[in-house]
Amino acid sequence: MKNILLIGLATAGLLLPLAISAGTPINPTPPLGLPPLFIPEANPLTQEKIDLGRKLFMDRRLSHNNVMSCAMCHVPEQGFTSHELGAAIGLQGRSLRRNSPAMYNVGYQRSLFHEGRELHLEDQVWAPLLAKNEMNMPSIGYVVEKIKMMPEYKGRFEAAFGGEATAERIGFALASYQRAMVSGNSRFDRWYYGGEKNALNAREQRGFEVFRGKGSCIACHTVGEKHALFTDHKFYNTGHGWQRSMAPAKTTYKVQLAPGVFVDVSDEQLDDFEKPLPDVGRYEVTLDPKDRWAYKTPSLRNVAITAPYMHDGAFSTLEAVVEFYNKGGVDNPDKSPLIFPLNLTEVEKADLVAFMKTLTGDNIDALARDARRERENYPVPKQDPSDSYMESIGNSRP
Amino acid sequence: MTKENNRFSMKTLAIAVSATVALGVAALPSLSHADETCNSPFTPLIKGQEDLVYVWTLGVEGIGDGSDKLVTVDVRPGSKTFGKIIATLSTGDRGEAHHMGFTDDRRYMWAGALDSNKIFIFDIHSNPAKPKLVKTITDFAEKTGFVGPHTFYALPGRMLIQALSNTKDHGGRTGLVVYNNDGELINTIDMPTGTFNGVYADGYGYDLGINPQQNVLLTSSFTGWNNYMMDMGKLVKDPEAMKHFGKTMAIWDAKTLKPKKVFEVPGAPLEIRWSLKEGDNWAVTAAALTGKLWVVKQDSSKEWQAYDVGTIKTESPVPLPVDISLSADGKGLWANTFLDGVTQYWDFSNPMKPKMIYKKKIASQVNMVSQSFDGKRVYFTTSLLGNWDKKGKGDEQLLKMYNWDGKKLAEVFSIDFYKEKLGRAHHMKFQAINLKELQPLQARLDGASTQNKLALTDLLSK
Repeated sequence: MKNILLIGLATAGLLLPLAISAGTPINPTPPLGLPPLFIPEANPLTQEKIDLGRKLFMDRRLSHNNVMSCAMCHVPEQGFTSHELGAAIGLQGRSLRRNSPAMYNVGYQRSLFHEGRELHLEDQVWAPLLAKNEMNMPSIGYVVEKIKMMPEYKGRFEAAFGGEATAERIGFALASYQRAMVSGNSRFDRWYYGGEKNALNAREQRGFEVFRGKGSCIACHTVGEKHALFTDHKFYNTGHGWQRSMAPAKTTYKVQLAPGVFVDVSDEQLDDFEKPLPDVGRYEVTLDPKDRWAYKTPSLRNVAITAPYMHDGAFSTLEAVVEFYNKGGVDNPDKSPLIFPLNLTEVEKADLVAFMKTLTGDNIDALARDARRERENYPVPKQDPSDSYMESIGNSRP
Repeated sequence: MTKENNRFSMKTLAIAVSATVALGVAALPSLSHADETCNSPFTPLIKGQEDLVYVWTLGVEGIGDGSDKLVTVDVRPGSKTFGKIIATLSTGDRGEAHHMGFTDDRRYMWAGALDSNKIFIFDIHSNPAKPKLVKTITDFAEKTGFVGPHTFYALPGRMLIQALSNTKDHGGRTGLVVYNNDGELINTIDMPTGTFNGVYADGYGYDLGINPQQNVLLTSSFTGWNNYMMDMGKLVKDPEAMKHFGKTMAIWDAKTLKPKKVFEVPGAPLEIRWSLKEGDNWAVTAAALTGKLWVVKQDSSKEWQAYDVGTIKTESPVPLPVDISLSADGKGLWANTFLDGVTQYWDFSNPMKPKMIYKKKIASQVNMVSQSFDGKRVYFTTSLLGNWDKKGKGDEQLLKMYNWDGKKLAEVFSIDFYKEKLGRAHHMKFQAINLKELQPLQARLDGASTQNKLALTDLLSK
């Protein structure tokens, strides 16, 4: 409970149907700067579900070879993303196309993944669990049976849901934990919504003026009167994705061999290795050509601690991101009209970056510590879950 | 693993190390290093003709059974099966098979998998021509918090393991692990981190080597799971990933297993080869990304220093020297450059001014090199890491043997591991069929003064 308080949630006596949920109800009170959290009626928050979801999130055994957990790509101490990778890698090092999204405030997202292919947090977990290049679990049933056979989960689903592990309950538990990763009350929030005049210095305040004025950032990274998610939940073609797929192949890459030591490596010299995976963005969901290479507007909350940036993690710094938008992205037939050259001065760019660094929530360390309450390593099941299940039913069925 | 091994206790370990240190060079047999002698100084050596070459082979999905396996090749001159595979032993795992190491009696060989974190212990003495898998350690990551058991290095009655990564973030911070020969975990030690003698210690690990005369352990640094499991093309194009390679080496007190000094050695310093020739006190490594050769030695005031002594150059902008092998007399070094598939031979008569004097293309890619104790036979394999190997035509998977006359390499045999449906050929170790022929332990127990027991026992047991 203490940890939950740390992330801005408070308990309240909600009456919940046992068939859906057992345990201690949680009624979240949003921190300064954030709106009330939407919680589906079917999956009310309880402490038991949050605790169970945390355990599942951290457990490396949720991958086929017991090596990858959710937290291996969404590293708690690295902003629940990975600072060390542009695009992620999954089981056995298989390549992914995109950067691991930071998890903060994911409960506010209206769609999930960079192209918005999933709509419900309760369902989202099955994509990485089953993807061959992520956690590579063979099937939904395999996941359920594996969790059931692991002694560390004994009684946990019963306590949280009043019944044994099922696919739906696994999704509900993970969604509950992720939904609880609320982070607000940033310096910006205290300044803009809390009336603390000195919470932002002059440069940061000038940066906010650039953000909502000449920079036009606010057009997509929206800020409301009472709260701000810094996203409009929509999808835009900025040209970054288009360039990767359609522009003439980059001829050279500046590659760091050691601190301060760089060499140019050509595409030709990398011809023996894997080619970048295709990625057409939002179009992959809607099949509407106007959505080609469009990606979701990310929230800017905690942006200073969630590098690298863009859907593929191509930019290491906020300065590089600002430079990209200052140039008006990359021209292409479907580029959003909201992306255009900004003509920011060097001072304005620096001010804008300074402003974005004020968006870090006040509970980042607490969320990381909260995640590490759970171990990532447990004894690996000695028997294959599908064998174990088949054995358990024996000849009890015709 | 067996009663025979039980003769080694922590006490004998302490005696062995103390004896080695106390007796110094004169009391030791020749400690010169070829690849055969890059084995731990506590392992008996094959100073004559090797009979068998074991190849730790990565399983590849779609090739044969797809499983990591130990492949045994007959290399006895005149044998009907010379240059042929005489045994394969599948582990059932496809977990990034990588390196192997002998126990102190050379009766068992430990082999690690960098992804699944399994450690396989093979009996290689009951029938060396047909190894048996006698134990699999499956809880390495769970028990240690480390990932990627890489180097397996014998201590008396113990195995010292260098890991590459960790279970928290799959980055490069990692540590050392001590097991007893029965495969029971004894201790874990973190690699040094933070500022250390004015140098930022990155906490990374790769290889290790002990110089018992000097009572020092030397370690190097590579990268974490995130990078070593990633496709090389993707890796090179990812500026974030390229920031996370090892930049340091560390010298430790071999008795206390406490770091004494950290050196800045940027660009991922990999294999460590000590020259233990009488009077020598230096080790060499190659930095994979920069191609720099570094020598670690004592200066005139007996202070350990790391010296940049040369650069391995290739046509590729990333030279990627991978395995190196130092000759028995410490005067010659084989260095393989992976991307162009070339091996270079460097004259190390003056280790501070080495010179490249010969090179030969081995295959489209080349990684490991192992030479016999006399340096006359040199073996090469081609796999670096499952996802760093080339794709398509460049992905040759070979074991090749050459004779070396001091001037040129002459090919004797080549085995195509893909045609044989085996997988990717990686680490090699030699074995004798008659173990009685093996030279005695380099760091002998004979004549050791039991009065000079060192503190290793205190450190290797919790």
